[in-house]
Amino acid sequence: MASSRRGGRARITISLLLLSAVLLLTLDGRGSGPIQSVRSGILTVLSPIGDAASTVFSPFRNAWNSTFDQSDLKTENEALREENDRLKGQITANSIAKEQLQQLLQLVGIPFVGDTPVVHTRVVSGTIGNFGDRLELDKGSSAGIERNMPVVTGEGLIGKVVEVSENRCIVSLLSSGTFKVGFSVVGTAAIGIAQGSGSENSLRGTNLDSRQSVAVGAIAATSGLAGSPFPPNLPIGTLTAVRTNEAALESTVDITMFANLNDLVYADVVLWKPAG
Amino acid sequence: MSRSIIRYGLVIASAAFLQYTLVTQFRIAGVSADLFLVVAIAAGMSAGAERGAVVGFASGLCLDLMVVTPFGLGAIAGLVAGVVAGLLEFATVHSARWLTMVIGFIASAAGVVVFALSGSLLGRPDMLSLHTITVMAIVGITSSILVLPMIRVCRWADPDDLRLRAAVR
Repeated sequence: MASSRRGGRARITISLLLLSAVLLLTLDGRGSGPIQSVRSGILTVLSPIGDAASTVFSPFRNAWNSTFDQSDLKTENEALREENDRLKGQITANSIAKEQLQQLLQLVGIPFVGDTPVVHTRVVSGTIGNFGDRLELDKGSSAGIERNMPVVTGEGLIGKVVEVSENRCIVSLLSSGTFKVGFSVVGTAAIGIAQGSGSENSLRGTNLDSRQSVAVGAIAATSGLAGSPFPPNLPIGTLTAVRTNEAALESTVDITMFANLNDLVYADVVLWKPAG
Repeated sequence: MSRSIIRYGLVIASAAFLQYTLVTQFRIAGVSADLFLVVAIAAGMSAGAERGAVVGFASGLCLDLMVVTPFGLGAIAGLVAGVVAGLLEFATVHSARWLTMVIGFIASAAGVVVFALSGSLLGRPDMLSLHTITVMAIVGITSSILVLPMIRVCRWADPDDLRLRAAVR
């Protein structure tokens, strides 16, 4: 009798907690201000602790990473050498179109944000959770950083700022799928919408007009259309697959990001806000 | 009751501190152990499904404050992990350490699946991918190991009468 009473109470407690969680998810989905304020506050409090811990554990972390990621590093190193050789060859080849050459120059470090000011930041830590959704950078509102500003590396767009405290900001990565970005295919009039597909450094591009001819290997950059939260011409990646649905007059593409999101050390926040 | 709340508060705060400063620095295949889930599972195993649900919800909320995934996902995942651990623990009569570890693994996997599935339903399609299996495996294995000392911590946090109540259910 007592046992069934306790079981009933447990069921009520669990149901109430589930309802509370759903309520919180709903409030967050509607962009509840207090939740964001609390998260920013937590970030402010934790950031100095994170700095100290990162410094203290750095030697141990390096030893750990070299143990578990050695094969990955070798593979990555070989891939980068190949990529480097390929880019050198492409740059020197006379047959490369001027537009593509400019894009490739950007890939080897030529700035692509033009006159727009940037804030150089250091990556403080990666994700707390296990779903690769964020990076923490060591600059915040005191450096002029605001929410929704684009974040780039020397290779291209990597994400946007989603949380800011005075001396820290959190970046949501483009590959995480938490937001979409309008893109254009360089050298064509094709525009579409790209979003993270769940696999690392890979995006899915949709809503391209199938009458526009796009080819594998073409370069995708931010379109910067009116109302877009990103400025135009930030390199995103190369098209690795194109699928056309003639009936729907729509093409979808796979995009491999230029920027390597593994082991990021530095990133630039572009101090850019959409007009209006 | 209030003593239990204070002690569990301390346990969750310590877990959050360790997760932020230490655990996330050491990753395998990009995945680290999840102390928030470990606390939920240990609470469920030491004091039953109801306590596991409450502690899992609280520790999950703590995780939610530190990440940018939808607020409440961690709470649901912690709640489910705590309940699953509590139900499995009290459905089996055992004393073997390996069985405790197996329950820890299953409850942890349940928490990860619920987190990924809920996130996917809430517009985060990336959360349900092959990476989820890696997360399940690594978080499951680490949880199954860490749950052993954490159960002792949760027994300290719980008043004796609650443990006895769960044990004779």
